[in-house]
Order: sequence, then C-alpha cells, then structure tokens
Amino acid sequence: MGDFKFPYFFDYPPYFTLQPVQDTREKQMQLWKELILRYCQHHKCFIINLEQEFPLFQNLSIQRKLSFEAREVFLAALVAEGKAEWLDKAHKKCLVLWRSIQEWSEMILQLVRDNAMEDGVLTLDEIQSGDESRGTELAGIDRFVLVRALKLLEQRGKAAMFKGKAGDDEGVKFSAS
Amino acid sequence: MKRRPGISGLHSAAAARDQYRSVGENVARIRTDLLKEQLATFRTQLEEFARKHKHDIKKNPAFRAQFHEMCSKVGVDPLASNKGFWAELLGIGDFYYEIGVQIVEICLATRSHNGGLIDLNELCSMLSKKRRTSRETITSDDCLKAIDKLKCDGLSFNDFADSSTIRPMTAYLQVLGSGFEVFTVGKKKLVRSVPTELNKDHNQILELAEVRGFVLVEDVERALSWHPGRVIDALETLMKEGLVMIDDGHPDRKRRYWFPCVSLSSSNAEEL
Repeated sequence: MGDFKFPYFFDYPPYFTLQPVQDTREKQMQLWKELILRYCQHHKCFIINLEQEFPLFQNLSIQRKLSFEAREVFLAALVAEGKAEWLDKAHKKCLVLWRSIQEWSEMILQLVRDNAMEDGVLTLDEIQSGDESRGTELAGIDRFVLVRALKLLEQRGKAAMFKGKAGDDEGVKFSAS
Repeated sequence: MKRRPGISGLHSAAAARDQYRSVGENVARIRTDLLKEQLATFRTQLEEFARKHKHDIKKNPAFRAQFHEMCSKVGVDPLASNKGFWAELLGIGDFYYEIGVQIVEICLATRSHNGGLIDLNELCSMLSKKRRTSRETITSDDCLKAIDKLKCDGLSFNDFADSSTIRPMTAYLQVLGSGFEVFTVGKKKLVRSVPTELNKDHNQILELAEVRGFVLVEDVERALSWHPGRVIDALETLMKEGLVMIDDGHPDRKRRYWFPCVSLSSSNAEEL
C-alpha cells in the first residue's frame, strides 16, 4: 500500500469552510465525498465517528480543520448517495461503504471459488484475517460489514451462518456451487 | 512624330496610338513574366525555408518568437488562416489550433475551482504539463496567440471540419472562443473564459488579492479607503460569480476571501 496522495484542494484553506454559494458548495461537497471514499478505501477504514478526531478532516500544514457541521454535511451527502449509512439515530457514527454490501458479497463468493471452498466452511475470523483472504481486499474487513454481506449471500441461498460452540467464532457454510 | 494637319494627320495619330498600345502591352507582358519568375523563385525558397525550419519553429520558442517578429515586419500573418499558404507550408496553424483546444479544456476543467478566471502563467504551466510528452516548450506568448486565434478565427475552423466529430467541437469552440478575454490586473495577466466582466471595484480588489491570494475586509477598507459596505458588496458579487471562496478557519478568527484565479497551485495540473 503506497502513500496516500492528497488532492490539490486539500491544501487550499477555503475548502475547509462550508461554502455559502450553492454552486461552490456543490463542487466542494463533490470533492470531499470522493476524498472520503478514497481515503477510507486506502486505509481500510469503515467507520467514521463524528465525536472523535478523524485524520482526514484536518490539514495541519495549513492550520485548517473541517467544522462539525461541515463533516456532518459531507457524510450526510454520502449517505444520501447510498455510499454510507448512519449507524445511530443521532447521526454520530457513519459506516462508509466505499464498496457496497453487494460488492463485498461478490468478493466473498470469489474468495470461495478461488480457494475451492464451494462446499466448505470458514469462520468469520478466517475471512477477516486468515490465509485465504491475505492479499485480497477482504483482508481486514469490518465484522459488521462482513455479517451484512454474508446475510445477503444467505438470502441468495449461497451461504448459511452458524454460531460456533461456546468460545468458538461464528462460522459460515457455503453452498456456492 | 510631327503632327500633320487634316485627315491624314488624324490617321497617323490613330496609328501612333496603336503602336504605343502594343508597345505598352509588350512591356506589361514582359513585366508579368518577370514577376511570375520571381514569384516562383520566392516560393521555392520559402518551401525550403519551411522544410528546414518547421521543426525548429515547433520545438524552439525563442526561434518561434523571432519567426513571428520577422513575419510581422514583412506584413505576413502566419496564423491568419488554417488553409493559408503559410499554414499549409509550416503547419503553424495546426500547432496553435491544438494549443487553443487544450486551453479551452483546461479552462473548462478549472472553472468550478476558479470561477472562469485563470492566471496566464498558471494556464501556461498547466498546458506545458499536459503537453510534456511532446517536449515542446509553450510560452505565455504562445498561449496569447492561441487565445487570439480562438477569438477571431472560430469561423475558419469550419474549413476543415468535415468529419462529424470535428463539427460539434468547432461549433463549441466558436461559442467558447468568443468568450475569451485576456486582461491585466496589477502585475498579473488573467484569462477570462466566462462572459462575466469585472467592474472597476472588482478589479481593484483582485489586484489587492494578488499579494497573498486572499483579502480581509479590513485590508480592502484600509488600502482603498472604502466603506465596509462597499467592500462586502463587491466581495459578495465575486462570490456569487464563483470567483471567490470564504475561509473562516484561520486561528485569528477573521474571515478571509480567497481568489483561486490568483493563487498559483501548479499541482492543479495533475487533476486534469
């Protein structure tokens, strides 16, 4: 994973202030939305907590940071687009879906095929950080997202989740053939 | 010839006139032939010149500038028409047409950031980055010529717009090209690609902004001795036109008004 490359606007102070003029605001939102998605994908970051500092929302070299309101506006825009979801009613925690749940489920199926596990069993832990997923985008996937993706596969009849014995991790049986 | 009175006198006058006329025609014919010959020699030498120097003209901006100077001394405009003698000989027209198209692309791509106003030097540096594979140096003078051509030459693009893909582009360029204007504010030349014109108040603020890329209301009040109301008015108009962005994030809590068109950020080029 190389260094993350910040776009030109990140070093330009006014982009850290919510712009009042409609057209300018729209341009600003579009730039920030793209940046948030790209940054989260690069760093495998799934959750943004508005009540905590998030490194993307400030640029120390120009002494600027996004206000709470600005962050909320940009994340809300991502949610409206279906690229993010609020995890709480108070809109303080945001799940960033730089890949859709659908896309994640497809990737899991691909992993299953690549490892000839069409009738096999994997624990959720193994999918998150096992040998099979090493080097793929699935490595390091958030548990919550993983479960959602597996539920989607369950609906399609391609998988069935089960709880392990006491102390064991949850697992999933695939019938992906 | 002696004049003789009477009818015979008249006859010889007529005969004399005829003789004069035929001598005159002869002289004219000889002169024309001479001219034709000179022109042919001139043309051959020109063709050789073009062959030898076409490459240099494209690759070397100093040579290119000298070439233009030479042409203007002789009263020739090598950019006058894409189908002209010079254009065909040197392919200069294509070169500037290409630059013109790329200038339009750059202005369109940066419009949402700078409101349609861009520093000529920044435009030039973005253009050079865009063309870096062709290893030709583009000067701001070349940019100015290309913009000039965009403005008045839109119609001639139709001359070679025979493919269906080129026609929409040329119509597009005609519309856009007519909106291009280059003007000077303070120490900078700015290229405007939108029809909005700046009034005197705006220009003065723009000039102030050149120093740091932004202004504070108090700066403008002090420097121009204006009422704060007048300052805010002008700034708000500029904001609505997309030429100014606000910045409330400075630790001193004072609002800054930034002008993307005068902030040099050559990293912009990578975004295109």
